[in-house]
Amino acid sequence: MEYIGEHLLPGNLGRLFVCVSFAAAVSAALAYYLFIKKGDAAYKKLARALFTTHAISVLGIVVTLLFLLTSHYYEYDYVWKHSSNDLPLRYILSAFWEGQEGSFILWMFWHAVLGCVLLLTAKRWEAPAMIVFALVQAFLSSMILGIFPFALKIGSSPFVLMRETAENVNLPWTEIADYLQKFPNFMDGTGLNPLLQNYWMTIHPPVLFLGFASTLVPFAFALSALFVKDFKGWLKPALPWTFFSIMILGVGILMGGAWAYEALSFGGFWAWDPVENSSLVPWIIIVAAGHLMLVSKNRGTAIGTTFFLSLSSFLLVLYSTFLTRSGVLGDTSVHAFVGLGLSGQLLIYLLFFVLIAYGVFIFRFKKLPKSKGDDDLSSREFWMFIGGLILLISAFQITFSTSIPVINQLIGPEGVIALMDTEMAPPLDAISHYNSFQIPFTIIICLLVAIGQFLQYRATGTKSFLKRIGLSFIVSLALSTLIAFYFYFYKEPLYFLLLFTGTFAVISNLHFWLRIGKGKLTFAGSSVAHIGFALLIVGALISQARQSIISESEVFLGNDFPQKENALLDLADTVRLGNYQVIFNGMRQEGGKQFYDVDYYRKKQDGSLDFDFQLRPFLQMSDQMGPTPNPDTRHYWNQDIYTHVTYSSYLNPTTTDGYANEMEAEILRGDTVLYQQHFIIADSLEVHAIQHEENGEIHTLKLTTKLRIVNVLGEEAIASPSYILEGDEVSYEEVELEKQGFKFRFSDINLENNKLKITAWTQVDPDEKPFIIMKAIVFPYINVLWIGCILMAIGTMIAVWQRIKSSKD
Amino acid sequence: MKKSHIALVLLIAVAIGAIMVTISDASTYVGFKQANETPGTKYTVIGFLDKDAPMDYDARAQEFSFTAIDKEGLKKTVIYNQPKPQDFERSEEITMKGYATDTAFIAEEILLKCPSKYNEQNEIEGYETY
Repeated sequence: MEYIGEHLLPGNLGRLFVCVSFAAAVSAALAYYLFIKKGDAAYKKLARALFTTHAISVLGIVVTLLFLLTSHYYEYDYVWKHSSNDLPLRYILSAFWEGQEGSFILWMFWHAVLGCVLLLTAKRWEAPAMIVFALVQAFLSSMILGIFPFALKIGSSPFVLMRETAENVNLPWTEIADYLQKFPNFMDGTGLNPLLQNYWMTIHPPVLFLGFASTLVPFAFALSALFVKDFKGWLKPALPWTFFSIMILGVGILMGGAWAYEALSFGGFWAWDPVENSSLVPWIIIVAAGHLMLVSKNRGTAIGTTFFLSLSSFLLVLYSTFLTRSGVLGDTSVHAFVGLGLSGQLLIYLLFFVLIAYGVFIFRFKKLPKSKGDDDLSSREFWMFIGGLILLISAFQITFSTSIPVINQLIGPEGVIALMDTEMAPPLDAISHYNSFQIPFTIIICLLVAIGQFLQYRATGTKSFLKRIGLSFIVSLALSTLIAFYFYFYKEPLYFLLLFTGTFAVISNLHFWLRIGKGKLTFAGSSVAHIGFALLIVGALISQARQSIISESEVFLGNDFPQKENALLDLADTVRLGNYQVIFNGMRQEGGKQFYDVDYYRKKQDGSLDFDFQLRPFLQMSDQMGPTPNPDTRHYWNQDIYTHVTYSSYLNPTTTDGYANEMEAEILRGDTVLYQQHFIIADSLEVHAIQHEENGEIHTLKLTTKLRIVNVLGEEAIASPSYILEGDEVSYEEVELEKQGFKFRFSDINLENNKLKITAWTQVDPDEKPFIIMKAIVFPYINVLWIGCILMAIGTMIAVWQRIKSSKD
Repeated sequence: MKKSHIALVLLIAVAIGAIMVTISDASTYVGFKQANETPGTKYTVIGFLDKDAPMDYDARAQEFSFTAIDKEGLKKTVIYNQPKPQDFERSEEITMKGYATDTAFIAEEILLKCPSKYNEQNEIEGYETY
């Protein structure tokens, strides 16, 4: 059958690109392998050509998918699911990587770009490193192949047509040639998740995926080094890449935090969510790897650990991919991808590289050069090694707790080997669980960051060390004590320690840069990055530990009873929230958004109100997702005021005759339901049928149910609403109970279970004002955190630049 | 013994500690039956909304109550002192963290699993008219 109006050419081209990219990646790996075995330069030429072909095909995939999205070809499943006609062009990219297939392509794209750079710059490391790249790319291309050999599913193609998907195959509409013209469903797509319609979502994923992709470079270098048994030569060319990875991955993760803070409604930038954790862990490991690579390069020690860490970062990226994309996280995360039925393939991808990498590592372990003597306790390398171990254990703790769903799958009651009787659930209070470990680890890390630069390789003279660090120590102790008094941290020793070590790290690195580095840019990299990291920690500590939920009610509800964190604001009433007087000034509908004007005032001494600022949090109304809240935040240099509408009376529609709080219940005779503190009991059902006088057919059917309404005092009232069927016409006799303010309708009968459908409303006081329920949080000094992030990125960038320069010398 | 070996031993000790603490911190998924046996103890219960029972949200009192059915089929009224989660009616599965009392399960935190919009294409309206 010929379908009318389909655009098959771009899709076929896209599939061709996918196939070519897969085949070219596999054969590039093979050609590089032959080049290493035979040493014939012709193989190298061939391999380069093949990898370039692969990279061009990946670009082809990207362009094709973008073309489909911008052309609104809704016969394609991916286009229909992730975009719509009214989607602004700037969100086309967000739509591109909203789905799993698109984000695989994004990841592949970055690997292809980095691979091309490596191909031109890696020199003698090119062949072995490119084999690793090509193999990874082959696996990734297979994820979007979308072929079904021997009843197996290999990959999920972004170029599949709607009528070809498993859900739709053999449905009646797929037999209609002009289905695209016939059904309005194909005129428009289902659109992009409103949560993702945010500029952060346009820039955060590409940066994060570049970060993920960049961990492949140190991995490829380390694996190649183990293969060719050159255990030190790889360090110099790999170092700039490792620091590049630290920077980009770090920025990507922090952008995710910024997005959560600006656009999500959980009120904060970090929630220890499994998806966040699984991207943080590879970063922690790559940071450890980068630092130990310095130790290995400068002192020739800790080589085994350096290899282990350099290999692990990329493997953890794979593990993270498996966690977030296989559907295994299921109940525990709000923002994991929806499983595509690729979990088996993802597992093979993960295990293939885990087995190869750790296998080769163990196989070569005995041959790794070991340092003969013991490190001096006062040496920089010893404490950097300790720092690396702390980062490793910190990553291990996060990974272990995040992996609870995986542990359930392995040894839970329905697992592979049933060792446990019950399934483990993630800790009830995730934040305090993670913090109880990560705060002590961070304290040690900050301390090491503070003293690290003043330590020398081999050994440090105690006197000169104390002399140099003494000033920073005293200054930071004084400064942190002052801050601690200001924020009442002196009552919490762990917080105080973190504050002190964080401040110490800032001051001593500043001191190092100004005095020993003489403020030169060439020395700035590590100092600036370390200052940035420490500021980030201090900023996070102050803004999180001293955040105040100013909308929290002061009414004590009882021990253990959750405090109400939300305040109710009637239209135009003034409510005191913290130091502010807040007025809800109305709702404005703009497009698909409901904007709520929330005005913040300060009370002047004479009692009059002084307008301070206005916030406009909104609810994005969407057919698929329901109303999605989007907070608004007022930024000051020293604090942020975050406001988020959790409920609004505008969401509870009022009928034209002034009733709201609609409830629908299905009940059988004798059943009781609870509504607005009243019991409603269906006592009886009366059927009244009127027959036609001549032919005896029933032309009118009137069903009446007697509802008994009982309040808490046991007082009863009766309402008897009716359902009338006259021919095909349905009408109702509704009953209003004036005293209770209820209205009842007998709205239908469920023919499957013979239950009566009753709809109830409550009368709204005509004078009742609209209201909103909102949450407002003050985050003090959160800018310290963001400044820290920026400094860390800049510092690492300088370090990358320095390493590139020194690797060329 | 080298210092780095001592550090490694300490590392392993902390790792084992982390595992132990995680296991003791981990809650278990239970049904309402077990939650009822020890009122006041916090549990994670997974259930789904009883659509026949009424759901009541008193916005002014910020009290949201509904009836949930756990995986064993046991029903219980759940009280949640937070604004009603968006899209609650459409949820397929509700993860409730909280504790039981004589009359109700007091949920402190609710996570919803909504049918993803990706699956909804099964319900394309047009083809039914065919």
